[in-house]
Amino acid sequence: MTQTTDTPMVELKGVKKRFGDLEVLKGIDLRVDRGKIISIIGPSGSGKSTLLRSINNLEVIDEGQILLDGVQVNRPDLKGMAFERHINHIRQNMGMVFQHFNLFPHMSTLDNVTLAPRKLKGMETKSARELGMELLERVGLADKAQAYPSSLSGGQKQRVAIARALAMRPKVMLFDEATSALDPELVEEVNQVMKGLAEEHMTMLIVTHEMGFARDVSDWAMFMDGGVVVEANTPEHLFSHPDQERTQHFLRKHLGAQA
Amino acid sequence: MIDITPLLVKAAWVTVDISARALFFGFFIAAALVVMRTARLPPLRWLARAYISVVRGTPYFVQLLLVFYGGPAIGLRLDPFTCGVVVGAFNIGAYMSEAMRGAIESVESGQNEASRSLGFGRLATLRYIILPQAAGLMIRSIGVLAIILVKNSSLVSIISVVELTYQAQRLIGSTYKPLEVFTLSALMYIVIIYAVMGMVEFLYRRATRYTFR
Amino acid sequence: MEFDFTPVIDYFPTLLKGVGVTLLIGLAVALLSILGGQLVAVISLYTRKVVNWPLRFFIWLFMTTPLLLQLYFLYFGLGELILIPAIVVGILGLGFHYMAYNADIFMATIRSVSSGQYEASRSLGFGHLRTLLYIILPQAFYRALPQLSNNMIIMVKDIAVLSAIGIGELVYVSQYAISITFRPFEFYITIAVIYYLINLMMEAGQSWIERRAAYRR
Repeated sequence: MTQTTDTPMVELKGVKKRFGDLEVLKGIDLRVDRGKIISIIGPSGSGKSTLLRSINNLEVIDEGQILLDGVQVNRPDLKGMAFERHINHIRQNMGMVFQHFNLFPHMSTLDNVTLAPRKLKGMETKSARELGMELLERVGLADKAQAYPSSLSGGQKQRVAIARALAMRPKVMLFDEATSALDPELVEEVNQVMKGLAEEHMTMLIVTHEMGFARDVSDWAMFMDGGVVVEANTPEHLFSHPDQERTQHFLRKHLGAQA
Repeated sequence: MIDITPLLVKAAWVTVDISARALFFGFFIAAALVVMRTARLPPLRWLARAYISVVRGTPYFVQLLLVFYGGPAIGLRLDPFTCGVVVGAFNIGAYMSEAMRGAIESVESGQNEASRSLGFGRLATLRYIILPQAAGLMIRSIGVLAIILVKNSSLVSIISVVELTYQAQRLIGSTYKPLEVFTLSALMYIVIIYAVMGMVEFLYRRATRYTFR
Repeated sequence: MEFDFTPVIDYFPTLLKGVGVTLLIGLAVALLSILGGQLVAVISLYTRKVVNWPLRFFIWLFMTTPLLLQLYFLYFGLGELILIPAIVVGILGLGFHYMAYNADIFMATIRSVSSGQYEASRSLGFGHLRTLLYIILPQAFYRALPQLSNNMIIMVKDIAVLSAIGIGELVYVSQYAISITFRPFEFYITIAVIYYLINLMMEAGQSWIERRAAYRR
């Protein structure tokens, strides 16, 4: 396939998702160009996490299309092992960061980072080690390479989780409330790492509660509620004078609480 | 062709009998050990701890052989059935005392302090405050031990008590129908064990009737 | 009452041989029951009912009947069909018995690994099987260690029961010595002491393993 720079990095077309009778995504369209950063905000239960997880196929959508760099992620036509092979390949191009870190507790920090390149790309131990150390350096945790996750703080865990996701050289990074489970004083160190990625023009989708951070870092901001995108705009516009009443109401509550 | 069922049923009853007696006496041995472990006199505490450690650290099977075959050397002559009950009781008593202690320690220390601050003594606190709260857990752990006791009772076949496993082995040898004999005897063990589990559940519900569950 | 431990000393080399056999059996059974237990647990959790139902039945049956009865069945039952040495019957019998107990533990610890671990591994691009091998099973194993080592400590004590089907472990070789020397008390006391020492060493090993595994959970 030929991808020009015009091909969006991530594209969603009419994405719908139901949990039983409850429709949590009611037809979402979204286009993320390469190097852009999109923040998704909204109350809990708005479907923002489901949206992000759908891009990684952790939730299987019922209708619509999801494309990563022009390649379709969801493939209802593929069954069984064929789909397995397809999705495993696709996922190697996406880095996912979870609210609860999900570091592998039985492996050292370095092994957490190098597992995927070693086992999935067949990278040699030595070069994987170099790559791992380079990434840990980048998130400021090179000195913790031999430590086990149980000895790290939440902020440190999340930085390792980001390094782990970066180790596969992903085209896009997905952050699912990466700082929501952290103590307030640990949020900043993770935000710094994410800002570093932004400066390197990593394509990112960020589901977050941190309005200030979303405003600073993103190129485009989306407010979701009840399974639909209520409003999407530049962060300046969306956070300063939102057009929709639901957005105003949500922001008043959240910015008020933060101020 | 002999009918194996009545023989096995009779033997199963011996299994129940020997296990029930061992459990009964084991309970008192366990209680004594628990008390000894909290005794003021250090040698009593050491003795209890050493006893529990040695009994738990050696095979029940060897204990049985030691008492039955070695006993006469120190003037201890027991018939096989009595030997099974005595060794079973002393063995399970050690495990049970640990289970009781665990249950008592599971009651939060604030309960003890509250009771003592009201003026209750150590024993009264145990009787009225701690034990009623520890009873549920205690019954369940004793239930687990009772099942182990039933399964362990098969070992007394070695000193020729005609219980279920002994009878099963003899019938396998005389009928050459291992599958039938095994199925029937296994079934009887299963019935006994499920009966124990049922009783434990009943007692547990009674014991925790008024407390939180 | 007088005790004479000289026969025990005379037969000490024989006893040591018995200890050796006991420990070898213990090692074989530990390997069989832990690896097999893991396999049984995985199959019972991840396959269709037709496959896992017989396995779950096997676990249940071995857990609700006495070891000695199982040994007799294997020895006299299987022994009728095919000629297998008693030691193999013993290792298999004890192995299956503890495989059932270990499988029960593994099923619980595999279930206890959080879904987040599964998702994290899948999101990196690992498939079901590799996620199981690299992520789920190692964690389940570390979590199972305390109960697993408890089971193995109990198992070693059960090796004594194998004397009932004529396997030359510690108790069996002592019974031979007793039949010649008529000193049951002295021999059984010695066996108890040896077992107690083995038990102490295993408990020390257990806490060493525990300490090493603790920070990986």
